[in-house]
Amino acid sequence: MNKMHFKVGLFAAASLLLTGAFLVYLLHARGFFERTYHLQLAAASADGVAPGVPVVFSGIQIGSVTSLGLNDRGGIIIRAEFLERNAKWLKENSTFTLDKPIVGGAKIRVESPDLDAPALPDNSTMLLLSSDISKEIPVLVERVKAILANVEHLTRKDGEIHGTLANVQTLTGRMTGEYGMLEGLLGSPEKARAVTDSLDKTRALITKLDAMTAKTDQWLYAQDGVAQQVRLMLNDAQASLKKADELMANVVEISADVKEGTQDVAALRAEIDDAVRKANALVNEINKKWPFARDPEVKLP
Amino acid sequence: MALSDDVARVSPDLPLRANLSALDNIALIPIYQGHFNVTESNRQALQLLAQLGHDDIASLRDSDMTPAQRFTTKLARGLILHRPRLVIDRPGAMLYDVPYPLFIRRLAGQADMTGTWEIFDFSWNQPLYSE
Amino acid sequence: MNFLAASIESLGAKIVGWFTVAYGMFAFLARAGLLLLDPTTWNRATFDVVIKQVYFTAVQILHIFLAYAVVISWLIISIILSTARDFGLSEFASEMTIRTLVLELLPFLTALFIALRSGSAINTEVALMKVNNELDALAHCKVPPMQFEFLPRLVGGVISVITLSALAGLLALLVGYLAIYGVNTAGFEPYTRTIAKILDFQILAGLVVKCVLFGLAVTLIPVTAGLETPKKLFMVPVSVLRGMMRVFLAIVAIEVVSLALKYI
Repeated sequence: MNKMHFKVGLFAAASLLLTGAFLVYLLHARGFFERTYHLQLAAASADGVAPGVPVVFSGIQIGSVTSLGLNDRGGIIIRAEFLERNAKWLKENSTFTLDKPIVGGAKIRVESPDLDAPALPDNSTMLLLSSDISKEIPVLVERVKAILANVEHLTRKDGEIHGTLANVQTLTGRMTGEYGMLEGLLGSPEKARAVTDSLDKTRALITKLDAMTAKTDQWLYAQDGVAQQVRLMLNDAQASLKKADELMANVVEISADVKEGTQDVAALRAEIDDAVRKANALVNEINKKWPFARDPEVKLP
Repeated sequence: MALSDDVARVSPDLPLRANLSALDNIALIPIYQGHFNVTESNRQALQLLAQLGHDDIASLRDSDMTPAQRFTTKLARGLILHRPRLVIDRPGAMLYDVPYPLFIRRLAGQADMTGTWEIFDFSWNQPLYSE
Repeated sequence: MNFLAASIESLGAKIVGWFTVAYGMFAFLARAGLLLLDPTTWNRATFDVVIKQVYFTAVQILHIFLAYAVVISWLIISIILSTARDFGLSEFASEMTIRTLVLELLPFLTALFIALRSGSAINTEVALMKVNNELDALAHCKVPPMQFEFLPRLVGGVISVITLSALAGLLALLVGYLAIYGVNTAGFEPYTRTIAKILDFQILAGLVVKCVLFGLAVTLIPVTAGLETPKKLFMVPVSVLRGMMRVFLAIVAIEVVSLALKYI
């Protein structure tokens, strides 16, 4: 027996066997032995979609786009292909979303909320939704800017809130004077002394002021809170504006009682309400879509 | 030296294939020319070497042979070509360790070849052949 | 002025020289290809030389080569993995591993390995055969050197480069799996998916064509360079030097062209 021939033969046989096994494995992996499922996706825009774009389910690729085309009415039809073993994740209530992340290529995300739902039949047509974060971020930023400008406008030095707060401050300053609340109400110590002389006359007024003092105290604590919170980050804007909302509610009541303050408090109130609502929705949205921006460097004045 | 295809040459200019044994050098020719298989060609080559009295060198390579052994292999290679003429070119250059006219004559006696053997040598070596 | 003329002349001489070399090589390749189809070529002696060639080129160095492939693969995979983790791109690590190692680096290194070991040997041997008149002797005996000496070397070289690249690639896939997922079957599904995604028919065919070209480059160029040697013993080292230089350029050119075709 020729030893060299034996070795070469062994080498050739082993190599052929290994290569053959690998080819069979590769054919299996590429689904050569399986049926392929086809799916058509109707989309409004095929921007970023090209043959080969992956279709992912729970972050794992289960299929890919094979071709793009137009239907009779000019709509975009994206055809995708799935292996039989992956097609089980496609259900009748699955949603298909086109994701275009800032880093990385576009992909089509499949979400099947109910895995017990009936399976999607072969060759069916589904709607492709679009969630293009890179496109939405500028819009989002514009809206944040608009709301911040609004808040700034409301809280400017000579603005309505400042006017209201200044009035209230004068009032409370007087309340802390020698004659306390009476001074605050009557404007000077002399007048207060005159009033104390005739308690009977002013009994009704004092009763009225008691209620107001309670409210003013409540408001003063709230003011500190606002001053601090207003300097916090955008994430806290919601809370700040809620406090501002409470504050304004108090101011409205105070103003109504004392018959002082701005005339258009109702309009101001409506404006702030609106801002709070918008900011609330905005913060929720940002929290949802911008997980890496926990500390946005946007400060309120 | 322009010679036609019916001449087999044994010449210092036509060396053996260095990485093949004597046997392989000879057996190569029946394989390529007569399209014999390897076993048959080896048998023919070995038989020829044995006939020339040198079957012990079958496994030696060119660099391991003495000049006489190398000459014998070359001669066997020439003989197995089965051409009508055999030309030995300057034997003195190949057989410098033996009295070569005698050596060639002895080999010629052992080989059964139908054609003619011709020896080309320098004229001053003429006396060597007359012994 | 004289200097300019001289440099232009030397440039022209160089270009003509390169064209002559390239023409000789392709003419040789064409003859070899024609003979490959000729049934009379495939006798037992040619076949034996092919086997011998495969033995000396591939089987004899198999263990060293595979050890070297494992070490290189392990190193490259570790580098890719740690870099990918640092940048949070570990999902691309297996793809990057397969692309760089199996498709590019290992075939390239295999070709270099065989060029260094067998290519230089072939070049020297053919040059010595030419200088020693062995080729004339073969021609006198009507043993065609092309079929007996050169064609088996080309075939053996191509077979060796393809098999060694394939074995090294399979080994790298295994090493990659072990490095990424460890000794368990958990990663089998995603790894299979990655492999299936990258290795489509086109890529595999490209890989085989590239290996064939590598195999030809590491044998054809040394053979033709050896045949160009003038019949002077001191020219043998020069011939090997030139041949090896051309082999290196050819391997790099094949790799660059294949990369360009794949990614541009």
